[in-house]
Amino acid sequence: MDNGSYLLEARELTKTFGGLAAVKDVSFQLQEGIIKAIIGPNGAGKTTLYDLLTGIYQPDQGSVTFHGQQIIGLPTHEITVLGIARTFQTIQLFPNMTVMENVMVGLHHRTKTGMFKASFRLPSANKEEAWAKGEALGYLDIVGLEMQADSMAGALPFGQQRLLEVARALATGPRVLLLDEPASGLNLYETQELGEIIYRIRDMGVTVILVEHDMGLVMRISEEVLVLDYGEIIAEGTPGEVRDDPKVIEAYLGSELE
Amino acid sequence: MTGDVRKEKKGFLDRTTSLVQRNKTLLIVAVFLATMPLWAKPLSEPLGIDIIYVMRLVGVFAIAAVGLNLLMGYAGQISLGHGAFFGVGAYTTALLTVKAGLPVWLGIICAVIVAAIVGLLVAPVLRLKGHYLAMATLGLGIIAFVCFREFVWLTNGHDGVRNIPNLALPGLEITTRLGEYFLVWVVALIVLALCSNLVRSRVGRAIKALHQSEVAAAAMGINVSWQKIKIFMFSTALAGLAGGIFAHLQGYIDPGSFNIILSIELVVMVVVGGMESIWGSVAGAALIVFLPEFIEAIPSWLGEVPHWVERYSLYEGIIFGLILVLTMIFMPSGITRGLSDMVRYRKSPFVNPFKKKVVE
Repeated sequence: MDNGSYLLEARELTKTFGGLAAVKDVSFQLQEGIIKAIIGPNGAGKTTLYDLLTGIYQPDQGSVTFHGQQIIGLPTHEITVLGIARTFQTIQLFPNMTVMENVMVGLHHRTKTGMFKASFRLPSANKEEAWAKGEALGYLDIVGLEMQADSMAGALPFGQQRLLEVARALATGPRVLLLDEPASGLNLYETQELGEIIYRIRDMGVTVILVEHDMGLVMRISEEVLVLDYGEIIAEGTPGEVRDDPKVIEAYLGSELE
Repeated sequence: MTGDVRKEKKGFLDRTTSLVQRNKTLLIVAVFLATMPLWAKPLSEPLGIDIIYVMRLVGVFAIAAVGLNLLMGYAGQISLGHGAFFGVGAYTTALLTVKAGLPVWLGIICAVIVAAIVGLLVAPVLRLKGHYLAMATLGLGIIAFVCFREFVWLTNGHDGVRNIPNLALPGLEITTRLGEYFLVWVVALIVLALCSNLVRSRVGRAIKALHQSEVAAAAMGINVSWQKIKIFMFSTALAGLAGGIFAHLQGYIDPGSFNIILSIELVVMVVVGGMESIWGSVAGAALIVFLPEFIEAIPSWLGEVPHWVERYSLYEGIIFGLILVLTMIFMPSGITRGLSDMVRYRKSPFVNPFKKKVVE
């Protein structure tokens, strides 16, 4: 694959908080259509990296090109419109809205009804609303929540809330989906299920980046793994390569001689 | 999606039924209001309150309160200065009709537009959050009050604007209280219907989303700051509309009508009526407008005021405040919510504030 065909490319991203480098000189490329995992001990800078990619933080230096376009400096909502969606490590659902409505919020930029049309309930607004409901049900179906469409999002069990975040992110119509610890708090069965769902998403043509602590899941489903420690990349490769890398073992277990 | 392919041809009856179901509350309120003049007249006498007269003002404040509820209840952006926009609306139409001789309906339309524009001009305060936004909007309310008082060349200062013409439709001046009552409530019900459509739409979902998590809303592709500005302008436009109608009902306005107390009262209407509740704002407006009238009328029911409450008017404020405090303690989610819970789940509309909450 030549250089121009990467879907997403980060170059020398650095972000410091009060002198502490949360992300330091991170460069990586993302091929379209794969599942890539980012792992590392707590505080390695994984979530900060997501925040940089989605415009929540601005990096001190470095660049990110998505589909050939520079996205550093764009506000979060514009990055979403371009096609990068994410979920959150601490669940950020809209708890007082129904499951269906949560997903429909994800459809926001793919629909157009403005204040005028909405308040007068013009036929075009009704038509779009009906379309949005159908679409939302489709996304709920992907994560297996279509039966809960009318429940309040805040009333869902924890595992289903994580899945709802995935459905909501998918509704924005992304080309890249950034999942932030989607398996944390899930039981064994739910994690298994999540793996299937991530495969399904990949098969829809969405490239997936996965920040995850559940090594079983990471090793099973990802095609590439990137390892961060103290904000720096210490290893990158296939799951097999990374698992045997002494630097990775050291980061996770501490060095043998100390 | 295949929705378009199997387009259902719904019958007239079906469509009417679904329309009725969706707007059930609106219809009930409309019927209630339409029949009100029939039974309000005999009730007014023994109560010592001119119900129709007061209800006109309830309609006006319901418009302003529902606008503020969109901003505060739904979008979660507090405004302690909404009286300012109410005042801007009132002064706009008062000055245009009195000094420039514009027809009343045009004056009110201008009031809406000017209030929305002023809303846009001060929209940068929406960058602030929580208490800071509350302080900033409080400041706006004070600035507006001072402007109404000190721009004497425009507003006549303390003297106010007199002889504001009666409410009127194009070619039809409305001179009776009953006529005003109907016109105010037709406008109010249209506004309420529009707002209730709005909160159940894409726009409503977006403002509720940014209320709950701005980061998540932005990650869903919502332009959070622009969305806030739009709903703020919508809200100030409604305050302007309410203020415009108010000016023509009163016939006379002065800066004192639009001081900080008005802003606080609007907030109280929203909170007591119920945040995130369109019809709650109507109930809140009704309560806040009627309560002082009731309290004032109490002595006339008793025949004679007992000696020790000779200076009764001094106690009015205390009773008013007490009722609000008790409402908030025992019905923290507002009166409409409390009462609808009672009907729906057959449970007491009151909560026990001393009971420990179960952690969810």
